[in-house]
Amino acid sequence: MVKFLSQEWAEQAKKKVLTELDKAKDLKNMNAALLNVVQNIPPDNKTIYYYVKFTGGNLEELTTGSDEAIKQKPADFIVTGDYTTFIQINNGQLSSAMALLKNRVKMTGNKMKALSITKPIDNYNNCIKGIQTEY
Amino acid sequence: MKLSDVLETTKKEPHCGLCKIDFLGTSVCSAGKKHGFVAYWPEGRMELARALAEKEVEPTETLREIVNSCNLCGICDRQCYFVTQRRPTQAQHALQDYLKSLPPAALKPTPEDDIVKELRAIVGDNFATNDPIIIASYQRSIIKQKSSGKFYIVMPKTTEEIIAIINVANAHKIPYLPRGNGTFFGVVLQTLLAEPATIEQGIIIDLWRMKGIEIDPVSITATIEPGVTSFELQKAAHTHKLRANVAEAESCVCANAQNLGIITTWSNTYGWGTDNFIDAEYIDSTGTIQHLSDKDIPNPYASEQGLLSLSLIPSVIVTKLTLKLHQILPDEEAIFVPFNNLPDALDLAHELAQRNIGVSLAVLSRKYLTEFISPTHEIAEDFNYIAEKYLKLNYVVDIICDSYTKKIVEELAPVSFGSEMIKSLILGSSKLASMKDSSLLKMISEEEDPLKAVFGGPMRKHFEKGLANSPKELVKGMDEDLRDFFEKLYSKPELTDPIWLHNFRILPCRMERKHMWMYRGGYMPGDKKTILKVVDALEKPAQQYHIDGAFGFLSYLERGKLAHLEYDYYYDHTDPEARKRVNKAIVESWRRQFAIKGVTPLEFICSKGLHRKEHIIYPLLPGLSEEELGHFEELIETLFGGEDTW
Repeated sequence: MVKFLSQEWAEQAKKKVLTELDKAKDLKNMNAALLNVVQNIPPDNKTIYYYVKFTGGNLEELTTGSDEAIKQKPADFIVTGDYTTFIQINNGQLSSAMALLKNRVKMTGNKMKALSITKPIDNYNNCIKGIQTEY
Repeated sequence: MKLSDVLETTKKEPHCGLCKIDFLGTSVCSAGKKHGFVAYWPEGRMELARALAEKEVEPTETLREIVNSCNLCGICDRQCYFVTQRRPTQAQHALQDYLKSLPPAALKPTPEDDIVKELRAIVGDNFATNDPIIIASYQRSIIKQKSSGKFYIVMPKTTEEIIAIINVANAHKIPYLPRGNGTFFGVVLQTLLAEPATIEQGIIIDLWRMKGIEIDPVSITATIEPGVTSFELQKAAHTHKLRANVAEAESCVCANAQNLGIITTWSNTYGWGTDNFIDAEYIDSTGTIQHLSDKDIPNPYASEQGLLSLSLIPSVIVTKLTLKLHQILPDEEAIFVPFNNLPDALDLAHELAQRNIGVSLAVLSRKYLTEFISPTHEIAEDFNYIAEKYLKLNYVVDIICDSYTKKIVEELAPVSFGSEMIKSLILGSSKLASMKDSSLLKMISEEEDPLKAVFGGPMRKHFEKGLANSPKELVKGMDEDLRDFFEKLYSKPELTDPIWLHNFRILPCRMERKHMWMYRGGYMPGDKKTILKVVDALEKPAQQYHIDGAFGFLSYLERGKLAHLEYDYYYDHTDPEARKRVNKAIVESWRRQFAIKGVTPLEFICSKGLHRKEHIIYPLLPGLSEEELGHFEELIETLFGGEDTW
């Protein structure tokens, strides 16, 4: 069991994606970098940045932490939401696209590009939800 | 009477919410008025009877209070029969008998929790609850059927109370959702859009108690609170000889402005979106109060556009809205131009729109015309059949204008009729239905131009005489115990006055008499070619999935530059197979509409806040490529799963 958004969780997530997902079939050779801004994390409502970058369907980087340097990383999309929403996305209760529809997260970035990566991102989320996670 | 005896009726309850409005001059349900929660209103009793019959909820002590609060005065039967031909008192009888059949120990108290205590501290003990029986009555009109989430219902009276409620929700990290009259949810929650339109748990903020209306006859504006319905605002405006541009009678004006931009047949002159309002007070998700007139707020009009902009949950709660009202011309008249085909109807309507003729202007379908003006669905079906087969009346350009422009319309129109003929058609509709396949109608159909013969030629007198219009004749096919009431009701001039009916819009919910419907359509360039392409894009999925689809109405906007079209899919929402088919048709219709340049389906306009229409419509969407449509299909699958799971 690893703590959600911890370094250990990030490492397990990266390993799982690299071993279980096919770059072409599952990740559609996508080129995209996403910065998730996870707000209101208990107990003191801190913010964690969760950055993930794919190049040609290859998971190049998966970093989490409250370090402002992560926030500065180049991102095609910035997704901002509450910790409770990211838990729901991570455990499969809510797809990230549905979270967007329900106004639970806000996204900035090119919408047409976002449309093209909906499915691979969904596959990515489905893959990492299998990690035994403590919230 | 058992709950199962009325299950067919209660299952089909469409949650139009008209029972909360005194639209027939009967007053409204006294229990509902006193207690407020939907469970005490006729629509809620019907839903409760269904939920108990289908064992979706266990009875609590509150059930006794709800059942005993009804005095069986019968107001709801008159109201509901007028609109949907249902009799809510039957559900009440079934609830009474069900309650009698329960052993006293069966009714359990509902334990309070901290959240409901906090909510009660804000709004008072009577207006916040976590009682499952009351929550069950909100199913299918804001809460998904069989939802397992934990819900609270709260009815604030002031803006400050809403802020405090949002603070409670945020402190407990649970979502909240405002409810106006539930009419939008009543339609959407039966489809695959249920998930994005609602919350899976949390606080439902029922805004019914916020009924403030202030009319300023000098500035010709109204400032209203979010519980005010279109009917109530229109009634208040009319006392000052003014008119509000509002949607269907039962819809809450603030919610309609925020969700759909108030689009009506009057939009030809009065506009839509931000044309309708001047200022608004609203509360954001942090519980902060803002005003459109504040200089320092973030751009309130900015909005997402296009495919990824689907969002059915409002981002703010509008707590006050200042709307423009309009002066009523003393010489307004209604004029109807019948057509047998859509392109010809569009030609005339577009020409009128371009020339700014018609305070109200729309193309109405045969389906709307016959369904709206017929007192029962059976009469409407016969009328519809006669209009199609014999009269060749398939579309009507529906205009309200002054006496000067009326002359222009009459010059441009091949044939037309006015208020007197509408009155004859309303009061004579049952007689007309009985003339189905008569020799007179056969004779009419053999005319070279039946429309001209009936509405403009020598047969007009015979036709009108044949209708033998009278309230007494009209009510013959109705339930016997209601005939006296309806005879008196239809003797009132407003019930046959097309201008009054356009203002107060008490008839559209009649389209829900037989089956549920799902609106399709949206906004598009006003050229005929695009409009016909969109109609085809909506018709094809209906045919493909064996759904009864029909053109509803079309309004031109901005002198014909743009058009808003409603096309409806009718289906039995209690039939799981029919629901699946309608869901498939919804997705297919999106795909087809998005492929057409400039078209924005209605759902993609929804809940954009107090947007400027320009931010949503322009730049016109380019029409998606095959590749983009492929991504769209993937998005749909991500959101809703595969077709087999819908």
